[in-house]
Amino acid sequence: METASPIGSFPSPYEVGTPPGCEGWEELYPYYALFDEDRRAADETRFWFWNSMHFPLPMPAFDAICIDTAYQALGTWQNRVFAVPPAMGIDYRCINGYIYISGNPVTDPEKIAQRAGHFQQRAGHYFEHWDELYGAWRTKMEALIAELEALEVPALGELEPDDVVFGDRETSFCAVLDAYRRALRLADVMWQHHFEFLLLGYGAYVTFSELCKAHLPDIPDQHIAQMVAGLDVLLFRPDAELRRLARLALDTEVDGAFVEGRTPAEIESELGRSERGRAWLSELEAIKHPWFHMATGDGLYHYYGSWLDDPTIPYASLTGHIAALEAGEDIERPSDHVATERDRLASEYGALLDGEARKGFDDLLALSRTVFPYVEEHKFLCDYWFLTTWWNTIRDFGGLLAEHGFLDDREDVFQLSRLEVYSALDELLLTWATGGQPRGPTYWPPIVARRKQLLERLADWTPPPAVGAVPEAILDPALIMLWGVTTQRVHAWAQADEDGSSLSGTPASPGVVEGPARVVRNVSEIGDVREGEILVCSITSPAWAPIFSKIQAAVTDIGGVMSHAAIVCREYALPAVVGTGRATSQIRTGQRIRVDGSAGSVTLLE
Amino acid sequence: MSEAHHTRPLAALRRSDSHAFGGKSAGLGELIAAEIPVAPGFAVSTSAFHAFVREADLDREIAAELSRVSPGDVDSVVAASHAIGEAMRSAPLPEAARDEIETAYGALADEVGTPEPPVAVRSSALGEDGEEATFAGQLESYLWVRGAGRVVDAVRDCWVSLFGPPAIAYRARVGQAEPAMGVAVQLMVDAEVSGVLFTCNPVSGDPSMVAVNASWGLGLAVVGGEVTPDDFLVSKVTGEVVRERVHAKEVEYVPDPAGRGAVRVVVPEERRAVACLDGAALDALVAVGRRVEGVFGARQDVEWAIARGRAAPEGLFVLQSRPVTGLPERRSSSETDTAMGLVMSMFGAGEPKA
Repeated sequence: METASPIGSFPSPYEVGTPPGCEGWEELYPYYALFDEDRRAADETRFWFWNSMHFPLPMPAFDAICIDTAYQALGTWQNRVFAVPPAMGIDYRCINGYIYISGNPVTDPEKIAQRAGHFQQRAGHYFEHWDELYGAWRTKMEALIAELEALEVPALGELEPDDVVFGDRETSFCAVLDAYRRALRLADVMWQHHFEFLLLGYGAYVTFSELCKAHLPDIPDQHIAQMVAGLDVLLFRPDAELRRLARLALDTEVDGAFVEGRTPAEIESELGRSERGRAWLSELEAIKHPWFHMATGDGLYHYYGSWLDDPTIPYASLTGHIAALEAGEDIERPSDHVATERDRLASEYGALLDGEARKGFDDLLALSRTVFPYVEEHKFLCDYWFLTTWWNTIRDFGGLLAEHGFLDDREDVFQLSRLEVYSALDELLLTWATGGQPRGPTYWPPIVARRKQLLERLADWTPPPAVGAVPEAILDPALIMLWGVTTQRVHAWAQADEDGSSLSGTPASPGVVEGPARVVRNVSEIGDVREGEILVCSITSPAWAPIFSKIQAAVTDIGGVMSHAAIVCREYALPAVVGTGRATSQIRTGQRIRVDGSAGSVTLLE
Repeated sequence: MSEAHHTRPLAALRRSDSHAFGGKSAGLGELIAAEIPVAPGFAVSTSAFHAFVREADLDREIAAELSRVSPGDVDSVVAASHAIGEAMRSAPLPEAARDEIETAYGALADEVGTPEPPVAVRSSALGEDGEEATFAGQLESYLWVRGAGRVVDAVRDCWVSLFGPPAIAYRARVGQAEPAMGVAVQLMVDAEVSGVLFTCNPVSGDPSMVAVNASWGLGLAVVGGEVTPDDFLVSKVTGEVVRERVHAKEVEYVPDPAGRGAVRVVVPEERRAVACLDGAALDALVAVGRRVEGVFGARQDVEWAIARGRAAPEGLFVLQSRPVTGLPERRSSSETDTAMGLVMSMFGAGEPKA
């Protein structure tokens, strides 16, 4: 018979086994999130890829809200609001705690044509009124965050407060459940906002990119991105503020407190002992709102807190900037370079085109620059500021449950699904009201303990980059735009180098370097990154910006040229290869690797 | 002495002189005028060729030989070429033309302060740019020529190459008669490295790239395809090296130690797989490529050399430049492609429905 298919193959999702000791992992997830026998015929013949960009680690039960609500919102805007002609929404399934996704295409030509009409009308309206609509979006997003920040979890005292009797305050039963429902609703609304502009923003960008490639076939992707990049992007403001404070520390001679290896508390305690140190600390205090709402990770897991929750990253960054300043380096340069380079590239590339091509280039560049602030800024507002605040609100509900013995620790709340938390609160309120003996304190802690152990074990398992059928072509605009998953990329995954000595991905930031790898699969490992290492991770987040001053290059499992690792690497002029599919599983910490950010290749040298 | 009309310094030529001196010489004149580094030299006009043919009474013999050629018959082409070549080589140059070439060579020797400076003697064909490109490789160049008498002989040898078998066959096929040729005589650059650059990617047609092929020694090895040159693709916009392929360059052409001509030698093992251009040299090449493109207002195919013992940019010389022909067609956007129309197509909503 014939040998292997020329386009390679992926395992069937139904043949992927459960790692030893992980039996029963399914209980963490909703019934509809599993590869079940009922849908086998359809699911087995679809292409599913591991969304390691957003979900690089096994999902805790509560965090799964970021899958459900996010894909609910993506589907709503792509499929039901804008009616993107060839693509509906994204389906997901969970294998051993890892999330695989697949697009739902529209195949009926008549339906595509109908949707095209709606799309032109609806998306056209958004593009035409972009600045106005985006302005309104910023306002409603900020209002949403304010509402979240004002949301408090009511306490359950011995007696209802006086206001219930003498005022019109509602009883705690209503107040607690109402607060929890409001918390869930705020997340729903945030995800709706998140996707309102996302597809159109990326779409304009990708169109510009395609036009560039049609007329300038060899243009590096990073030049296209550089021409569009925003100049004063929210995402880079936190680090810009830290650079300013680093200069202030030198100017006011308090830089001696910033010694590599000291904890934030140690540094603050030394600063607190002098007048000038206290003055510096009050400057720091003044920038915390909002800039310390930066997340320490990509925001979609509860343990990725903000800089407020864990100031290790900003302090490490401050220490690095101060050391650089003391060494006489110019820490401002990269951003200035980005600004001048952006306009120089645009005018030089534009000058190489003529006639219609020139006009298309100019118009699409202008459109891309109009829409791009959203693409860059939603990350700070939605994924970082909102989500890190929101996880803390949920933690407060965990605190309430822990206070009444339903959980050992407030953090344990994230081991329950959002519906289980509702159920636990329900029972807590029932027994608090009746004075009866609650079942929760004996019911939930063993479940929590079991799930924590499952997650720990599942984290050691390496998911295949894709399962199911190898598609002939990837046509879904969302997969291409948001995940950088292209036909070429998928076929490369399917034909992965058997000896594992090299990986290929998308060239995202130019340059060639060799050095020891540092594989980071969890944000908590970020502190292990050493000077001169090459960061190997599923996906980075701009919140990790400070460590980019230490590393030589970055390699990621997933992401396109607009992924965060790519953006930050260009900002720091470091080579980057993104979307390799399996860097974190094939490379080990300490191994010497060569990263060619121009060719998009990673070579394992030992 | 009467005013020279068969020769002129390269620096005095402009594009409009190409009908008399050929495209190569006129182009070099334009480059010199734009202060692009070009080795000094002089050009021989087609008037010298015409005078030679007329005074030695070669026209009838040439016409007779060519009349016996049938385009599809290789033997007839070779026979005609051979006969014409014999006749031309045995005929003397007109005295005026010979004197002028010798005088111009003497002036060049004075200019560079060397008694018998080595020069390259190259054909500078007439006609449209496209034709010249088609002729590439059919017309001869003579390198490392020293001494006035040998320069004169090399000029005649260039003329002879106008009747080489490929040139005869080509003209017979396209029905072109009455060929003529100018000749460029240029101070030889003793190239440590040389090659070709395109001010676009000749494969993809991308105008934002400069493609460079480079190898050790004189350019013969690259142009003649005798080595696989180092191959660089450099962004014209940022100077970034987008692609770099270093190959084993096994042979190179160097000046014959005997003083005349170039000889092919084996490249020592340790130099073969070494990249023959560094970042500074590539930067200089990209800069020169951009300037040359600016002079002609079109994508250019530039031959260049870096002088032995000298580094770019000071040691870099342009040897010749011609338009790039036969570029791949780039996708042309339709008249109705507005930015919004393109965005709509990206989402699969490109065709408006009535």
